[in-house]
Amino acid sequence: MNEITTVLARTGLLTAVQREHWKMAWLSTVDHKRIGILYMVTALVFFIVGGVEALLIRLQLAVPDNTFLHPDTYNMLFTMHGTTMIFLVAMPVLFGLANFILPLQIGARDMAFPRLNAFSFWLVPLGGILLHFSFLAGGAPAVGWFAYAPLSETPYSSQLGVDYWALALLVLGIGSVGTSINFIVTVLTQRTPNMTLRRLPLFSWMMFVNSFLVILALPILNAGLVMLLIDRRLDTHFFLPPGGGSAVIWQHIFWAFGHPEVYIVAVPAFGILSEIIPVFSRKPIFGYEFVAGSTVAIVFLSLLVWAHHMFTMGLGHTVDLFFVASSMLIAIPTGVKVLAWSATMLGGRIRLDTPMLFCVAALIQFLVAGLTGISHAVAALDWQTKNSYYLVAHFHFVFVGLIVFAVLGSLHYWYPKMSGRMLSERLGKWTFWLMTIGFNLTFVIQHFLGLAGMPRRVYTYPNLPGWGWMNMVSTIGAFFMAAAGLIFVWNLGSSLLRGKRAGDNPWNAWTLEWAATSPPPHENFHELPPIRSRRPLWDATNPDRPDPMVGTKWQAEIVVPEKNEAGVIAFICSETGFFAVLILAYLYYNARPQPGPGAQDLSLLKTGCFSLCLFASSFTIWRSEVNLRRGRQPAMVGWLAVTILLGGIFIIGQAIEYRGLYQSGVGVSSNLFATTFFTLTGFHGLHVCIGLILLLILLGLACAGDFKNGRSPALKAVGLYWHFVDIVWVFVFSVVYLLPRLL
Amino acid sequence: MTPFQFLISGWTWNAKTMVLGALSLIAYWLAFHDRRRIGWFAAALGVAFLTLMSPINTLADGYLFSAHMLQHILLLLVVPALLLLSLPESVSLAVRPRFFGHPIWGWVAGVGAMWFWHAPAMCNAAVSSAPVHALQTGSLVVLGGLFWRQILAPRDEERLPPPGAVIYLFSACVTCSVLGIIITFSPVAVCSIYTMPPADHLALLAAIRSGWGITLEKDQQIGGLLMWVPMCLIYLSAIFAQMARWFADSKTPIPTKI
Repeated sequence: MNEITTVLARTGLLTAVQREHWKMAWLSTVDHKRIGILYMVTALVFFIVGGVEALLIRLQLAVPDNTFLHPDTYNMLFTMHGTTMIFLVAMPVLFGLANFILPLQIGARDMAFPRLNAFSFWLVPLGGILLHFSFLAGGAPAVGWFAYAPLSETPYSSQLGVDYWALALLVLGIGSVGTSINFIVTVLTQRTPNMTLRRLPLFSWMMFVNSFLVILALPILNAGLVMLLIDRRLDTHFFLPPGGGSAVIWQHIFWAFGHPEVYIVAVPAFGILSEIIPVFSRKPIFGYEFVAGSTVAIVFLSLLVWAHHMFTMGLGHTVDLFFVASSMLIAIPTGVKVLAWSATMLGGRIRLDTPMLFCVAALIQFLVAGLTGISHAVAALDWQTKNSYYLVAHFHFVFVGLIVFAVLGSLHYWYPKMSGRMLSERLGKWTFWLMTIGFNLTFVIQHFLGLAGMPRRVYTYPNLPGWGWMNMVSTIGAFFMAAAGLIFVWNLGSSLLRGKRAGDNPWNAWTLEWAATSPPPHENFHELPPIRSRRPLWDATNPDRPDPMVGTKWQAEIVVPEKNEAGVIAFICSETGFFAVLILAYLYYNARPQPGPGAQDLSLLKTGCFSLCLFASSFTIWRSEVNLRRGRQPAMVGWLAVTILLGGIFIIGQAIEYRGLYQSGVGVSSNLFATTFFTLTGFHGLHVCIGLILLLILLGLACAGDFKNGRSPALKAVGLYWHFVDIVWVFVFSVVYLLPRLL
Repeated sequence: MTPFQFLISGWTWNAKTMVLGALSLIAYWLAFHDRRRIGWFAAALGVAFLTLMSPINTLADGYLFSAHMLQHILLLLVVPALLLLSLPESVSLAVRPRFFGHPIWGWVAGVGAMWFWHAPAMCNAAVSSAPVHALQTGSLVVLGGLFWRQILAPRDEERLPPPGAVIYLFSACVTCSVLGIIITFSPVAVCSIYTMPPADHLALLAAIRSGWGITLEKDQQIGGLLMWVPMCLIYLSAIFAQMARWFADSKTPIPTKI
């Protein structure tokens, strides 16, 4: 024993006892359950921050012509409130919940990539700190959570606030993509064998589908943020009209992300409703297939309709018309869901415990949010109400009325599983009623305020008829919600210490997480019940009348891909979105010739030569893989080295090209051609460099004899990434070097 | 000219094509005797007829880029899909060697056709030259058939399984959307031939530009938007059908053993 301790101490590893110390247990954990709880606690902390910001905003607006807050402070507060609530509360809490629940629901031991999981989580506090550090660095951003250009550009926001905002969102975006790749790969590769894809519980199914939306939508924002940061730090003009840029493009990029973002946080809430409503109605979900299928439709449609956020910007009647029609379509799949949940309750033996209360309220409030949403799809009506409190009321009905209520319901529902103790039902009811009354007091009246003409984003307002008392009602409601929040936090704490013991399955629910003990042991399950339908625990407790078996028809339901490969492919999909935005931006900004440097200053021949090296390296890394499979270790190492050499030549060639341009006076801020050229090729170069680092690590491992057994998922995964980098260059090369010469 | 007058007079009757259509309908009946599916075949002919002889064609002939785009969408996505639906299960569309049956080729055919024919040079050539136009019409139907074969082949085993099909359709939609976005927001004319005054033998131009209010920029926007939004809705409908197929047999009778 002592020997082991000294060996561990010498190598810098921890003993089991040291590992169990709470600091190590929580700070260094890679266990999905602990990471899930860390996510949720972080979200709770920021929920309090964002909530206090909201209260300050409501205090300022409580009476007309108020001077409680300085206008600048007000702008900072509503920017930080929006950003915090979306990126530091809604997304982390849902990711945390899914982190805890999803592996349990599919009978998995852990997430597919536990370390990536920990990394993704720790980016949340980092992003939160970056964002809030702006308060110390000269003032928080005061540009709204949408940061419309040109207000967010240096001439109008010269403080560092927007830079910290953009950096924070970039960090958080990377974390979200990381965790979503993890969800996708976990569902694909970590399911217990009988958990076919068509037997997935709806929450897991929706997180799975939703993760595709995250990995496609977040990179669009990341590309926009990168462009904004380049604008601000390197003095370029992507979004500044005086330098030839376009502020409208920022809006397109932001809403191409921003609209899917609404669904990124709403779809998990749909998942929560789809779990809780059947359990508390004692009926299986009505129309599982429709609920599951309509999710795919929602995710798909949400990527198509962002322009309806821009009706008031003046896109023109033609564009408006198309987006009016397509936006209205979203009402169909969401309507299908609402009907399915209602039909589940119809004729059920409904138990109105706290989780169910929250879900019923969420369902009703979401219906209202949907109806006002449809009214915004009508461009003519949207022009009248978009910049008023009517819209504020609408999206708070989505974000609070649906999502916060669903999350509160889910926490009351799954808290016993997480802690082993029940939340107090009495305090839960208090939370629910205070929350419901407070929410509706705050936001129902804002519809009327908006229709009475009160604009949003104003720090105060004149004493017009009706405005004063309506705002006062709204503010009073906000404090009801704050009281509900306090009771909830008290309930979380006191129940953890003194709550009733929960047992494994306090709600008599049917999905696999309830087959584990509460809280589940480190390895989750010792034994799983047989799984033959979507409600394995129902089948186990009612062997005389089990659910009809869900058969297996498709190979795709049971196929388990190699996890590293699946992860890299998901990552590549995400990166494709990032490069697509940069390439489209290049095309847009260079559609018309502009004064100053242009594509004619680039040397097609020289670049063509070192591009050939890069393309050839795709061949060499393939040869390396083939040789690995055939067990020819030296040849594999050789081909790998050649790949690195070719990649290196490409990077050196690009460096020489950059130097030539700099020497002839072409810098990143020369004109929009130079800006887009350096941004696009620079980011590609960065990816090549990352690929080279990965290849060098592989080379080191190969030389050390790591891949002797002839199989290496790592080489395969890095190979895929390397091919991707090459293919991106095919497009970049065509667009930047070939296209101008063809047209 | 009012829109109504134009709808009456804008038809281009092409006897050869109509005879060809009638003959193909007879040939279909003789070959398959399939009473259930001949409706699909007739629908395919009907859409082709609308595309090639209705006022859409008149407008596409030098007047409106957006009408041209509508033709493309119908020829690439609607006509071939209906044709494939009209084929009975006895017809195998398996491709030998298997390498060419890989979905990537179908995908490239469907998406590539859209990108290729909207490259400015090809777009202009197709409007100004009759043989290129004929080649375009034919190739769109054939390439569209290759694209849809992966989804709508008459035999179930020759189709992609639903998850693969969803990815196939989704990625095709996104790629076409990107082109639609480029066309919608392009500050320069994509198909420059429409910016030149056409022969205008119907004296239609004044009605289009001032009467209907479709300016050059608007025309291109409508074209791009048609590709961006309604075209994607066709893919979306197909994705719906795939979800239905994926979940369809969940009510299978309970086998005795797991």
